Amino acid sequence: MIIQCRCLTKRYPADQGMVAAVNNVNLVVAQGEFVIILGHSGSGKTTLLSLIGGLTEPDSGEVLVNGVDNWHQSDEALSDMRNRTIGFVFQFASLIPTLTSLENVLLPLSFGRVPRGSHEQAREILARVGLGDKMHAYPGQLSGGQQRRIAIARAFINQPAIILADEPTGDLDEETENDILRIFRDYNEHGTTFVVVTHNVHLARTQKNPRVLEMRQGTLLEQDGRFA
Amino acid sequence: MDSGLRKHLNILDYTLLSLWRRRLKNLSILLVFAGVIFLVASFELVTQALTETADRALRNVPEITLQRLSAGRQETVPLTYMERLRGIFGIREIVPRVWGYYFDEVSGANYTVMGMDRRRMPGGKEMDLALARGDMPDPEERGAAVIGQGVETVLRQKGGSLLSLFRPDLSQVSFEIAGVFAPATDILTSDLIVLHPEDARDLFRIPSGMATDLLVYVANADEVSTIARKIATLLPDTRVLTRTQIRKTYQVVFGWRSGFASVCLLTALTAFVIFAWDKASGLSPEERREISVLKILGWETADILAIRFWEGLLVAGLAFVLGCTAAYVHVVFYDASLFRPVLVGWSVIRPDLRLLPTPELANFLLIFCGSVLPYLAATVIPAWRSASVPAETALSGM
Repeated sequence: MIIQCRCLTKRYPADQGMVAAVNNVNLVVAQGEFVIILGHSGSGKTTLLSLIGGLTEPDSGEVLVNGVDNWHQSDEALSDMRNRTIGFVFQFASLIPTLTSLENVLLPLSFGRVPRGSHEQAREILARVGLGDKMHAYPGQLSGGQQRRIAIARAFINQPAIILADEPTGDLDEETENDILRIFRDYNEHGTTFVVVTHNVHLARTQKNPRVLEMRQGTLLEQDGRFA
Repeated sequence: MDSGLRKHLNILDYTLLSLWRRRLKNLSILLVFAGVIFLVASFELVTQALTETADRALRNVPEITLQRLSAGRQETVPLTYMERLRGIFGIREIVPRVWGYYFDEVSGANYTVMGMDRRRMPGGKEMDLALARGDMPDPEERGAAVIGQGVETVLRQKGGSLLSLFRPDLSQVSFEIAGVFAPATDILTSDLIVLHPEDARDLFRIPSGMATDLLVYVANADEVSTIARKIATLLPDTRVLTRTQIRKTYQVVFGWRSGFASVCLLTALTAFVIFAWDKASGLSPEERREISVLKILGWETADILAIRFWEGLLVAGLAFVLGCTAAYVHVVFYDASLFRPVLVGWSVIRPDLRLLPTPELANFLLIFCGSVLPYLAATVIPAWRSASVPAETALSGM
């Protein structure tokens, strides 16, 4: 199992006291699975994703990635895991506006643990997402869809085993959405594990064998209503 | 290559890229910062050079100077006091000196006129060495004067070869120029006119048998304070000044002036650091997002701090080197032309001395600690605060 969440809970302060954004969630994801988590806005999807990615520390429970508990390792090891094992696709493009497309894609490699000379690899990925001719463009010169594709290329540059995607097709036109989902399917067919949170119920139809879960008020359910 | 070393090289690479990306902002900070450091370092170097010059010049001042006070004002000293002092063991020589200030209405300059018998002064022959040209007149020779560079400049502007001065009754007396003091002694001699003692008495209408003060030379330097105490007891109407006290006065004068200026400049420096702090602590949303994105992509908090540290060090370090180098060039090669009016004096005749400071590590270290370190703190601490918070906010676009 590449991801295991056990009794995962995360609470945030709210007007009416502490509210559980993620409430006692258990989830097991196998290598190469494509997991889609559906849910309305505020159901806790993004929080769950950040817990899995080691961006947020849970109040209770544990997250194991490749068998290692995220929060029982040093900051350095956790950063290393985020860098090498996980690729993040944000809800918004989150590109650095003062870097070119190529420099943005190369950012995870600048970390220094991956050998240099990866420009060729970055160019290939940019070509794969259809932006081979926009390598030296700045984010401000690109459309929203193109920025999203640059962010996806950045997520794949380290060839991570897991992709965590938060609303990857939100606010995109149909053509760009299809492009992105095709890229996801290609990578998934080559063994990359995906956990995608979205409110787009049609997304499941674009993938071969997706496993669809639903998040309701912090609780994770199988599509038939059983607890995941 | 070792992965740790490569990581640091990449961090440096990213830092340089980051500096370049915000080149206009960084360049303006660099220039302002370098300017402030230039001002502080210049004052430090000028003060040091002046104090050293004054110290060198004061080496030939007599161990004790005796003045007579009446109702708190300085009065002339009867030469008969010399006889009374001869009884004190340890005094090598007593030389009467006649001096005063002379205001030249035409040029608006104040001269210091001095008359003394240099034959009786230990080291009096060294005065010949202090001349740029000409000779000290023969001690018996009347009607000759030795003048400082500043006085010579005024004289040249007037177009005369004789130095003509007026007595209190407005009768005129003229002197031949026998010699001119060297520029190296400017700090003490620029406005100086040295005359025969009797000529000086005549100019100021000081009665014969009186002097302005008595210069007392002591054989053993360790005995100066004891002898000064004995003189004060023997002649209670006199003020006894030791060389140490005079040196301290000079240091206080330069210290006060440079201190005043330093306070103004340190205020400017502090204002700059507060500005930098405000600028840095108020990280823009783009900068905060950049930090969050970097963390999500696998950068550690320490990596982000390292970037900020190198950014700050490069900007502040470069500003420090530029500022200090410019200050040295300004003081040594341009004689601190910006600050001379403040530090050297406000007189019409300003000493035209060459400033040669000896750069001291401690001074530069002090400037470094007062400028570079606060700037580094102002850069790194806010980034640390920002880098320490969870980065998941970037997932939702903040």
